[in-house]
Amino acid sequence: MNQAPVSCIPNSKMSKAKKVLDEARSTGNPELDLMEKGISSFEEMPGLLNMANITRLTLSHNKIVDVPPGLANLVNLEILTLFNNYIEELPVSLSSMPKLRILNLGMNRLNALPRGFGAFPVLEVLDLTYNNLNEESFPANFFILETLRALYLGDNDFEFIPPEIGQLKNLQILVLRDNDLIELPKEIGDLTRLRELHIQGNRLTVLPPEIGQLDLVGNKSVLKMDYNPWVAPIADQLQVGISHVIDYIRSETYRYLFSRHVSVRGPPPPKYIDKTNKLSRNRRNL
Amino acid sequence: MWHKGTPGTPVKPLALQSLDHSQLYQRRVQNLLDEQNHDIEESDKFSPTTGDYEDLSEHSWTDDRNSVSSAVWSSSQPLSSSLSSNNSPPLLPARTSTMAKQSSQLTREDARSDVHLIGNRITGNMSLGNMFCSRCGDGFEPHEKIVNSNGELWHTQCFVCAQCFRPFPDGTFYEFEGRKYCEHDFHVLFAPCCGKCGEFVIGRVIKAMNANWHPRCFRCEVCSKELADLGFIRNQGRALCHECNAQAKAVGLGKYICHKCHGVIDDKPLRFRGEVYHPYHFNCASCKIELNSDAREVKSRPGFTSNEMNELYCLRCHDKMGIPICGACRRPIEERVVTALGKHWHVEHFVCAKCEKPFLGHRHYEKKGLAYCETHYHQLFGNLCFVCNQVIAGDVFTALNKAWCVHHFACSVCDQKMNQKTKFYECDLKPVCKKCYDKYPAELRRRLRKTHEATPKKASV
Repeated sequence: MNQAPVSCIPNSKMSKAKKVLDEARSTGNPELDLMEKGISSFEEMPGLLNMANITRLTLSHNKIVDVPPGLANLVNLEILTLFNNYIEELPVSLSSMPKLRILNLGMNRLNALPRGFGAFPVLEVLDLTYNNLNEESFPANFFILETLRALYLGDNDFEFIPPEIGQLKNLQILVLRDNDLIELPKEIGDLTRLRELHIQGNRLTVLPPEIGQLDLVGNKSVLKMDYNPWVAPIADQLQVGISHVIDYIRSETYRYLFSRHVSVRGPPPPKYIDKTNKLSRNRRNL
Repeated sequence: MWHKGTPGTPVKPLALQSLDHSQLYQRRVQNLLDEQNHDIEESDKFSPTTGDYEDLSEHSWTDDRNSVSSAVWSSSQPLSSSLSSNNSPPLLPARTSTMAKQSSQLTREDARSDVHLIGNRITGNMSLGNMFCSRCGDGFEPHEKIVNSNGELWHTQCFVCAQCFRPFPDGTFYEFEGRKYCEHDFHVLFAPCCGKCGEFVIGRVIKAMNANWHPRCFRCEVCSKELADLGFIRNQGRALCHECNAQAKAVGLGKYICHKCHGVIDDKPLRFRGEVYHPYHFNCASCKIELNSDAREVKSRPGFTSNEMNELYCLRCHDKMGIPICGACRRPIEERVVTALGKHWHVEHFVCAKCEKPFLGHRHYEKKGLAYCETHYHQLFGNLCFVCNQVIAGDVFTALNKAWCVHHFACSVCDQKMNQKTKFYECDLKPVCKKCYDKYPAELRRRLRKTHEATPKKASV
């Protein structure tokens, strides 16, 4: 990928973004679409941070590296989409945005989340798909996001999920696809409203029996768990269907198997997804 | 000299009535006993004791008609009244006994005496020397007027009311226990008072409920029907006619009284045109079968309160009449009909399958043959928009295990609106437009493709 220095912005690109801003200002349109404008810095969008009226800001498919703390000035922003940029760090101020409900930071280069990231007052959907996050990336109070109903962590580097995840009482969707997960915390069983759980493409061998408490087999529920090195009984049930897996892990037989498995745990299965070519790694590899 | 027709002393025959003393006594004792037995006799059957209204002259003393034990007032017409037509005193009662056996010692003559002024016609051994006044015992002066009443003789000044010592007005007196009373005092002392109006009872006396009554005053306390000739039933201190008593009794038992035969309805009553009946008094308007309590009253003009046109049908005929049956209670619907889910419902029975509250005309949502209120439909079936998290009011986009308001359905990557015709890809069960998907890194697309090998990676709404 060609990484142009911030200072060398072609005029045409700048005017493109400016045009959109001018138009939005004149029409009073509170929804800003600025995807695929080649933007690499917020400086290319003069006056944007003063447009306190906007409710949606979409900056997908740009080249933004830094998110200025002043973005938090957009106090009416409800939806912020920064999908597919070069963001490595986020400002602490972001979590103070009073109306932000949907935050899409997918396909960036985040290695960590800023402290206080759990302080969003009304955040409902958080998409962190395809970044470089792991269990070390979460700030201490991340899981106090009581309003969160969807958490997308697919394509990251998690080997474990903090047990505090059980505090996300409103979580309905949890995506952990294509990580390096070795085990799941039993606290996932506390997520009583969960109806979508994606754990395919990990290194999981067993499921905590507590997952059996969740309603993941109804016609409004989804459990995706393929591409894991499951122990034979689970793998066998999975062949027949998800509902059989759930029935099985609810059984006493499985509880016994699980406790034995945990006590004589061997070395974790090897990582089998080669992530060196991930787009999110590119910057680091440069 | 015997004078005849002297002014001030009218020469009039007087009626004399007498009453057996023992009978009055008995009656009073009987009253006392009645009062003592009052509670025991509650709601027992009674017949009012009544006296005859006939003139004593027509009265048969040996007649057993008045077999009820107590005295009866009979009216008798004093002879005086037969002579003076317009100014005659009212019909006067005389106390007599109804007990034929005991009254046998009374003679008709006793009860009906003529009083004469003795004139020149005195004959035989009757001489002034052996005649004495029945009151004062003194003899009579020659030429003095002598009152002869039933063989007894009186000074005119001695022939007075035993109570007020005044002459008898119009010469009419009443005799009781050997004493003679003017009409007024006799009433005051002995005549019965009506338990209702408090007036003296003259003529026929109804003795009932430990009191005396005019026949027109003794009525059913519920329906005011005169009870004198119908008999009555004592019900908790009230005198009731047979119908009202049966009704009161039935109400006490929680039962209905048939509006037709006035009998108690022991089984389930049949309601018809606002009244209750024994079902067997009616036949089905269609098949003429005798009805039972399952019969149905059919309003010929549904929705109208007037029920004069209502007809009765047996359940079988009723159910064949095309009257809608409620899908909830399986009973016919005679009022407003709600038609939904391919069935009919009573308005109050068309309820949310979750909270069971009636919709009462509010919008309902259908799912798998059941109806839900807005709140519970969305709570149960999750039709909250994935973007705004609000109940979806209008049309719904449903895909990827989620739902969207039509105007909120957009690519999850670039937020561009999509419609039902837009092709999109699925990643983590989120919609991704083709333009964005094409921008995914090749290695991710490769993995996603691998994951979706079994299922088509393209999905359309």
